[in-house]
Amino acid sequence: MNIHEYQAKQILSSYGVKIPKGVIAYTPAEAKAAAEIVSAHGPWVLKAQIQSGARSKGYFLEKEAGSEGGIRVIKYRRHIYENAAQMLGKTLVTIQTGPSGKKVSRIYIEAFNRVEKSFYMALAVSRVTAELTLLAAVTKDEDVLKTALNRPNKILKVRLDLAGSARPEQVREVMDFLKLPPRSAKHLECLINALHRAFLEKDASMIEINPVGVLKNGELVALDAKISFDDNALFRHADIRQLKDDCEVSERELQASRYKFTYSEFDGAVGCIVNGDGLALAAMDLLRDKNIDAACFINVKGGVDKDKIASGIKIIMTNPRVEGILLNILGGFLRCDLIADGIVSAASEVGLNVPMVVRFEGTNRDRAKEILENSRLPVIWADTMEESVDKLAVALEEAA
Amino acid sequence: MSVFVNKKTKVICQGITGTQASFHIRRSLNCGTQIVGGVTPGKGGQLHLNLPVFDTVKEAVAETGATASIMYVPAAAVKSAVKEAVEAGIKLMVSIADGVPLKDMLEIKEMLRGTSSQLIGPNTPGIITPGEARLGIFPENIHNRGHIGIVSRSSTLTYEAVLETKRAGEGQSTVIGLGDDVLIGMDFIDALSAFMADRQTKAIIMIGRLGGAFEEVAAAWYKNQKYKKPVIAFIAGNAIPFGHKMGYAGDIMTKGYISVQDKKDALNAAGITVVDHINDIHFKLAKLK
Repeated sequence: MNIHEYQAKQILSSYGVKIPKGVIAYTPAEAKAAAEIVSAHGPWVLKAQIQSGARSKGYFLEKEAGSEGGIRVIKYRRHIYENAAQMLGKTLVTIQTGPSGKKVSRIYIEAFNRVEKSFYMALAVSRVTAELTLLAAVTKDEDVLKTALNRPNKILKVRLDLAGSARPEQVREVMDFLKLPPRSAKHLECLINALHRAFLEKDASMIEINPVGVLKNGELVALDAKISFDDNALFRHADIRQLKDDCEVSERELQASRYKFTYSEFDGAVGCIVNGDGLALAAMDLLRDKNIDAACFINVKGGVDKDKIASGIKIIMTNPRVEGILLNILGGFLRCDLIADGIVSAASEVGLNVPMVVRFEGTNRDRAKEILENSRLPVIWADTMEESVDKLAVALEEAA
Repeated sequence: MSVFVNKKTKVICQGITGTQASFHIRRSLNCGTQIVGGVTPGKGGQLHLNLPVFDTVKEAVAETGATASIMYVPAAAVKSAVKEAVEAGIKLMVSIADGVPLKDMLEIKEMLRGTSSQLIGPNTPGIITPGEARLGIFPENIHNRGHIGIVSRSSTLTYEAVLETKRAGEGQSTVIGLGDDVLIGMDFIDALSAFMADRQTKAIIMIGRLGGAFEEVAAAWYKNQKYKKPVIAFIAGNAIPFGHKMGYAGDIMTKGYISVQDKKDALNAAGITVVDHINDIHFKLAKLK
């Protein structure tokens, strides 16, 4: 689960990270009032709150939002209202949102901080070594990605212990690497230890400050903040759960998550129903080879509840993008007959109006086939994944 | 022969009295697994499925001499279950649970460092040596004994790989699901090196997927081995577009090994046969004969 910048900053601030003074606003009038609160004089920074990086280099889909991006430095008070009005309710597109962008429903107004220099800092998990890793680099914005790809030695990686705090020599290593002034030393130690504690105590999966600003007096200020939380640990963090912004995910995604299914949307026209992410990936690879793209996939995992499965299948059947359905189920834990029941019940409610290819393997496959045959639904049978994709391609062509 | 588990492996089940555990333990017993007891705190002294139930893993190990444990405990309890098993000297653990917190896995991995205990999973179908031992939730009826080792980072594609061995007229020595999660216990190298040393295994199917650099690391390892068996690999996720990301830390961690093609290239360069479609595996298997 992701949260907005201003929420991430509040959390980090509670761990002792210095942040610019800021206030959140939902309307242009609130934005104007917020500016008064955070600073008596400009400049101010207006920051569109969507959960994505590279907002400053993004653009709005709507013309009336103006040509500037999602982060705007405003010098004069009289321009605050106008710029807030331009951004609120509009769609911001960045390299991380995809072409459809995300709607801006709130903006964060901050006092502008003049900094001597800035750097990138993040905490993440190295998957192969299963270690908590601190990342630091003298770069900012999406340039850090280019640096990672082209000059990986320009990014420092420090393995942090799970218990305790960063060792003094580790802090020194980061100091030297970033060439920070000596007066920043104690601030850097505080920052690293705050990130470390926040990561573990809040069950984060990633914390990123891009960038950290170095003030003249050596203090370090988080000019941006991103936190992703581990979905699997949300059960032990009621405070984090309530920060979830339902506007950030599609209605269908939200529905699927209620049943604990995973659901993803893409730009194509085929809806995939599977019981494993790998199965979805492999099916989408086969579709891609036929120049067919997926519209969405739902993973019903090891579902044992017939009604939930039916609801999951309905999410696919009622997606207006879906022109054909590809179902691949390999029953182990999951019983194929439960899926068949789910298809019949979903189709009886919302109708099956597009070609659907069905492939069952594993637990109770024959029983599943019997259920669907008795239902007289016009499904197309396949025995292997490859065959299922071939048959769907043919059916789509015939339907066109 | 086989790897990690065979008919002589004495297995206990942590969380044996649960519904899913009972269902799967019964099936595992039916296909020959030597399950010697179970652990459910507070139910020690009882009999369940005709097996002795113990309060602690330590007692179960002392009484039965078990060396492996299959865990059907919920995600939130996996960390303490692994800790208990490691301290009791269990050598091989299998955790089925989906949804183990990342931090718990970080702590589990730290706990396992420097011990001789290994964890398969979590979020895995488990491990099966057909006809000898089934620790997990595999649909055992699709398996048959043979000479192909399978190791997979995708649960459902594990079953696809099994079906591919059948299509090639072959069977499996041992099938290992590494688990679908961000952090996993056993990895490709652990499994591949065991298969390399196993006499029954003649070739290996390796199923990878987008995310993490487990395949690249395995490729580098394979390249440097003196003694090799043929490996056929499939990597899922080519059609997944980039986007919908938050920040850059994830990409930085993978050092640019970000696409499926990168993984395929690394495996190819190491001398591993890479197929573009999972259903091409059986053609390649047939060619090995």
